[in-house]
Amino acid sequence: MKSLFNYIKEVVYAFVSLAKGLLLTLRYFVTIRKVNITEEYPNNRTTTISVKERFYGEVVLPHDENNEHKCTACTLCQIACPNNSIQIISKQIETEDGKKKRVLDKWVYHLDSCTFCYQCIDACPQDAIEMKNSFELSVYDRTKLIYQLNRPGSKLKEKPTVKEQQS
Amino acid sequence: MNASTVIFYVLGSLVLIFGAMTVFSQKIFRAAVYLLFSLISVAGLYLLWDMDFIAALQIIIYVGGIVVLIIFSIFLTQRSGEKLPPPIKKRLVWSGILTISGLGLTSWIVYNYLFSASTLPGVEPTVHNIGEQMLSYSKYGYVFPFEVINILLLAALVGSIVIAMKKKEIKPTDETTHITK
Amino acid sequence: MISMIEFTDITAWIHSLLLSVMTPTWTYIVELALSGVTALVVLLVCVIIMVYMERKVAGFMQLRWGPNRVGPYGIFQVIADVIKLLLKESFSPNRADKVMFNIAPALALCVSLMALAPISWAPGLTMWDTNIGILFITAISSMGVIGILMAGWSSNNKYSLIGAMRSGAQIVSYELSAGLSIVTAVALAGTLSTNGIIQSQADGWWILKGQIPAIIAFLIYVIASTAECNRAPFDLAEAESELTAGYHTEYAGMQFGIFYLNEYINMAIVSIIASTLFLGGWMPFHLPFDYPVVHVFNHIMDFIPTWMWFFGKMFLIIFFMMWFRWTFPRLRIDQLLKLEWKYLLPISIVNLLFAAVIIVLHWHL
Ligand code: SF4
Ligand code: SF4
Repeated sequence: MKSLFNYIKEVVYAFVSLAKGLLLTLRYFVTIRKVNITEEYPNNRTTTISVKERFYGEVVLPHDENNEHKCTACTLCQIACPNNSIQIISKQIETEDGKKKRVLDKWVYHLDSCTFCYQCIDACPQDAIEMKNSFELSVYDRTKLIYQLNRPGSKLKEKPTVKEQQS
Repeated sequence: MNASTVIFYVLGSLVLIFGAMTVFSQKIFRAAVYLLFSLISVAGLYLLWDMDFIAALQIIIYVGGIVVLIIFSIFLTQRSGEKLPPPIKKRLVWSGILTISGLGLTSWIVYNYLFSASTLPGVEPTVHNIGEQMLSYSKYGYVFPFEVINILLLAALVGSIVIAMKKKEIKPTDETTHITK
Repeated sequence: MISMIEFTDITAWIHSLLLSVMTPTWTYIVELALSGVTALVVLLVCVIIMVYMERKVAGFMQLRWGPNRVGPYGIFQVIADVIKLLLKESFSPNRADKVMFNIAPALALCVSLMALAPISWAPGLTMWDTNIGILFITAISSMGVIGILMAGWSSNNKYSLIGAMRSGAQIVSYELSAGLSIVTAVALAGTLSTNGIIQSQADGWWILKGQIPAIIAFLIYVIASTAECNRAPFDLAEAESELTAGYHTEYAGMQFGIFYLNEYINMAIVSIIASTLFLGGWMPFHLPFDYPVVHVFNHIMDFIPTWMWFFGKMFLIIFFMMWFRWTFPRLRIDQLLKLEWKYLLPISIVNLLFAAVIIVLHWHL
């Protein structure tokens, strides 16, 4: 008798717990507009889309308004990169006071082999490069993924001298 | 020759062709499938003679039940996909002789028996009639076979439960409890 | 009173039209072909709607949008998928049993289409109005497993074989409780013909009139038929995490498409049967009481056309099956067999007895 009672209890309990699950999905089904978490990506790329700041999208070399960057072509990032994704090409120039100096010629970035490991940015003593959270990086041809990061005509930002810093 | 005669001959030849293919096929699974087609053609013959109820039962019992069971047992045997070995010559001769004599005997009996057309009116296969026939104990009632089959099925049921029942006195070791849990 | 056009008028008109141009034999043949093609077209349209509906329901239940790229609200997604399947190569593996492999999908499709014959679509609109309609459908659905077994065996692949065997065991065992709940409804209606069953619900559907046994039988039928269609949570035959795709692992292109179509046709047929048995098929919603208010209500219900009732009920039950699919996780094989043999079958046997008592005592309304 007791086992029969238990059997019926089990069946009723099973139905109750199944009904709970069904009600949950039914609630989702009718309130889809309020609880939906899907990004409608290509439609909202100019409006509501949000990508977190910390997302590692691509390496950039920021330039300021005078078209100046902070890279001194020390190649530390190139050494740090585990994938050989960075090629620093430097050139010799002569400054006004006749000194010879190495400056950056091309900062070549191979996005196709970059794993977004952040090591180049950690290695840079000048904080010249940054990670940007852009994500629409795909192109139709792999060779188009090789970028030159320094803009044409850009030059090294002069470091403020100690005096200037104090003033 | 009207359409129903044509359909009769088509269905009849299908029954025979598939029956022969069942016997002569060397792949056992294919034989089972040919048997299935043969049985379906028999159901088609019943439909042709307006015996819908018998046709449905033919499909439920033979196709849905027996052939599926046969296919299952074929699946459970080893190497069901390979060809059977060719039959032994001596047995071939003997079985040929036996079949032909069996065929001769049955056709002789059928030929000599005087079939008389039934004068009983046909029974509509409504639920009511089926139930009445099944439990009626007057002439042409089916209560006796019905009860015999009941007892047979009950015995089979009890037997399978006894076979499937767990023996309580054997205590499972720790590992087995772990697995079954 | 607006005079509504009944389906019987249309069929009678077609019949007289055909009779005026050809001999009775040819009329018969042409009508056979016409009715078959019409049923097929209606069913295919239903399947297209169902595939779209399944994706949308799945999406909404999982907080997604479902298809929304091809056409407005993604309504052309199904057409795109069909075109994709048609363009793919139908490939049969090297070591497969080629004949069986190619017959299997066609056989499965034929079997499920045969179950359409005794279905009553609208008043007086039945392809084969036979006395044993429901029994015939049960017989045909017990044949459905053959196509799956053939597909699984002939693929010569252990996943396919295991999937086919699982599916066979599942269909054979769930047929019992589905059959017993059909018997409950048949016992209440007192007839096996689909038209007769629907007519017996003219003063109220069986799920209302038949008291508790009818409700239990309806629930058991929906569960068991979900299992018979091999749909989640009972989709062990194609459990993709264990068996890649079960019995149709080796199929590609349109041969796979036929299996896919077959699943949806089976679903449609099963829900038509459930609605015929318990929800009155095309019969409008009537209350079985004898008050003036109820009469007025019953009369208002008659204004909704029968085809709306038919397809409304069909899609309601289909929605139930999709709801189950996207809510419950898949069962294990032992749980599946335990559910049938320890729960559904005993309950439906007791339920049948209970229904018999109610019928004998005339307690049903
Ligand atoms: S992020 Fe890593 S892989 Fe990419 S360029 Fe920097 S160091 Fe190389
Ligand atoms: S980016 Fe930084 S680490 Fe790399 S070369 Fe320029 S200054 Fe050196």
